[in-house]
Amino acid sequence: MGKQGDTRNTAQTLSRTTPIESLWSLSLKKFCTDKIGIASLFVVLVYSLIALGVSLGLWANEWDELLNEQGYGPISWDYWLGTNFNGQDIFQRAVYSTLTAFKVGLVVSLCSLWLGVCLGSVAGFYSNTWLDELIIWLYGCLDSIPFYLFVAAVSFALKESDIAMYVSMIGVLWTSSCKVVRGQVIKLKSLEFVEAARAIGVKDHKIIVRHIMPNLAPLILIEFSLSFVTAIKTEAILSFLGLGVRDGISWGVMLSEASAEVVAGRYHNFIAASVFMFGLVMAFNQLSDALQDALDPKKVVQR
Amino acid sequence: MVLILKLLIGLCWISVTASAALPAQKDELVYRHVEDGAPSSVDPLHIQNTYANSLVTAIYDTLYEYKYLKQPFELKPNLAASMPKVSEDGLVYTFKLKSGVKFTDDPAFKDGKGREVVAEDFVYSLKRHFIKSNRSNGKWLWQGRIKGLDKWGQESGGYQKEVDGIKALDRFTVQVTLVKPFPQFLYTLALGYAAIVPREADEKYGKQISVHPVGSGPFVLESLSSTKAVLVKNSAYRKEIFDIELHGYEEAKHGSTGIAKLSGKQLPLVDQVEVSYIKQPSSLWNSFTKGNEIQYGWVPTVQLDQVLASRQPLKLKKDFSDRFHMRVASDFGYVYLEFNMNDSSIGYHKDPEQNKRNHALRCAIRKGFDWQNRIDRMYHGIGEAFPGIIPPGVDGFDPSLSRESVELDVNGAKQLLKKHNWNAKTLPNLYYSGVNSVDFRKFFVQFRSWMSRIGYPKEKVKLKTFATFGDYSKAIKDGRLMTHSMGWGLDYPDAENVLQLYYGPNKSPGSNSSNFNNSEYNEIYRQASAMQPSVKRTELYKKANKILIDECVVIAGFSRTRVHLWHKNVSMYPTREVLGNYFKYVNVKPL
Repeated sequence: MGKQGDTRNTAQTLSRTTPIESLWSLSLKKFCTDKIGIASLFVVLVYSLIALGVSLGLWANEWDELLNEQGYGPISWDYWLGTNFNGQDIFQRAVYSTLTAFKVGLVVSLCSLWLGVCLGSVAGFYSNTWLDELIIWLYGCLDSIPFYLFVAAVSFALKESDIAMYVSMIGVLWTSSCKVVRGQVIKLKSLEFVEAARAIGVKDHKIIVRHIMPNLAPLILIEFSLSFVTAIKTEAILSFLGLGVRDGISWGVMLSEASAEVVAGRYHNFIAASVFMFGLVMAFNQLSDALQDALDPKKVVQR
Repeated sequence: MVLILKLLIGLCWISVTASAALPAQKDELVYRHVEDGAPSSVDPLHIQNTYANSLVTAIYDTLYEYKYLKQPFELKPNLAASMPKVSEDGLVYTFKLKSGVKFTDDPAFKDGKGREVVAEDFVYSLKRHFIKSNRSNGKWLWQGRIKGLDKWGQESGGYQKEVDGIKALDRFTVQVTLVKPFPQFLYTLALGYAAIVPREADEKYGKQISVHPVGSGPFVLESLSSTKAVLVKNSAYRKEIFDIELHGYEEAKHGSTGIAKLSGKQLPLVDQVEVSYIKQPSSLWNSFTKGNEIQYGWVPTVQLDQVLASRQPLKLKKDFSDRFHMRVASDFGYVYLEFNMNDSSIGYHKDPEQNKRNHALRCAIRKGFDWQNRIDRMYHGIGEAFPGIIPPGVDGFDPSLSRESVELDVNGAKQLLKKHNWNAKTLPNLYYSGVNSVDFRKFFVQFRSWMSRIGYPKEKVKLKTFATFGDYSKAIKDGRLMTHSMGWGLDYPDAENVLQLYYGPNKSPGSNSSNFNNSEYNEIYRQASAMQPSVKRTELYKKANKILIDECVVIAGFSRTRVHLWHKNVSMYPTREVLGNYFKYVNVKPL
């Protein structure tokens, strides 16, 4: 892989003389040596399997059933983390919340990335034009508002809509990927393969889509992992405030339920939601760090 | 040099006087109260809840008020000099006002000095509700009841134009003429809506009067925000002595509260009242138990096991009983789940056959409603549901009424659905709506689980949430919701106040949010609402209640029970319904 499109010619010419290992291959090798990175990936995969199992109906199907008529119940064989106020199984709720976290994380990070990459590529490619100025002004405005306040305000304003939480997060999270992508595109567009494409009359949008965007892949991967974590954390905060998940369960909702319970010495809900969320967020953060190290061409070349 | 010396002396003088003032502030008696919601306005026109009513009745005077400790509730004169003279036909009420009562000093008055409260002020205050642009919340209380008042409001000929039905006969005498007998009229005059507002303040402050009240009550509003209200003693308050016998003091019931020692004292008893508005139960509890913050509170549901030694009888653990007084009291009202009869998927339908099926569906949902589970989980497990909408303790409550409508009957519900050809495919989406909150979601989860038990597909029981109570309230008023859960606190101790909620002509956006319209019910209500308390009226109330049960228009009811606690150095007997104007009776002993 590596630089694609018209760079292929250059790469092929070089490969005839000296065999070159692609950036992806080098990065993979580097990533495999990173124990924390591998462990994090493993944890993320475990969470993914949990979420997949929930979505396929393999487990945690009784997360909202009133199983224990007594309401609160202790840890037991039937209820691994006890039952909550309504007699619902806390463990099943925490497990089911993994699916919610993945839904939110995937939808928000994919949509915000798509928006950020598109706008960032356009801004970078047409840098120092009015289009670039407009996009910079737009993300400058959004960045000037404190993130959580903005997200909470938009969620509140769209209160009756089920997608309020998603819209509010996507509306802000695209700015970080847009900035990074813009910078990278400015750098890429002055390289020879872009010049070559221009010289043979390839249209701008094709240069962006076919030649520049593929070279942004490592960056996008890192940005994805970062925005995924941010989305999960933001969902928890919004749900805690009653502005997030409405009909369903999430770790934020569980924490919000636990807010009154911890004062009364009931920690099951709080601990379950915190531990599950901590595990996923921590793993994603570590994975993101490992990916940054592995995909950084400077560090890879140093090897 | 001389200048510096002068400055130093000046600073010293300021610090000495400031420190001299401190002991005086320390001696002040401050009562720190708490509510779980905040008022948005203290204008008598715009009272929206009991939180606002508590403040309005502390700042303004009403002609009548409830006796502090008396049960069942009983009125006594407040600004009125005596109980009114009522004509034989029950249509003409003549009130005498106390003389010498003054509004608090305010720039709105000439020379900033509060003037005497006169009969014209009462006339003006009632008329204010009928000015269309004022958008009064309390107008409904007197709408269609006082001779000429509605017409006056429609014509908007200005305050100068007289109304036949409300006249100031002299400086301290008011006469009100009703269109038809309205036995609850006196009760309405004890509500904050009937508070007496001086015209000068209304004209000077306009809409700002909602945060700048000028009254003649026992307290003056010092500040108001969404988290706190501060009331200070009205130093010019008229002479009012706390007569505990008059107020219904009973040694056996109130003996432990220390109220007996307050007999004969001038009201109000404390110098300042601070009302904190804390929605979060755990924050409220922390503040209460801390010792030096709020002095009154109640036990949050999740804390109950930590606080109570036993539930039957209800006893506090020693650690708490040593520090706090306790009173267990039911709200003077009830909670319910209501169907919107204008929604053809569950309410009235033009096809008689479908109409019957919808009736069966409503009844089946009611049979599947597990009151005991709700009470156990959400209301401390204390108390019992009652059939219908007339709560115990109110005339018209029938203890012999069948409890079928509040008992769980899963099989009965299933059979009813089957009999009327309701199944997973034909059942409509059932929307359960409310203000988005942790507690509301708990309510919904319960409800969905109960419905699942009677065969309602889970995916068809849907949640509809609103960010604020205002939005939710508006959606109800607009008739946009299929069902809605609410609580109703009685405005006055008469079943008429709850029966009017189902009177056809009061349909949305009026108080009849269910849009129930039944000719037999309407006729009974019309008759009973004009009757003085009597055996016949009680029978009519019972009959009306029975119709509501038979029509399955509402799943009701339950009066919430609250475990009130207050610090040992505070003398009070807490209640938060109907009463109003209770801060003046609270006393605090310095620690």
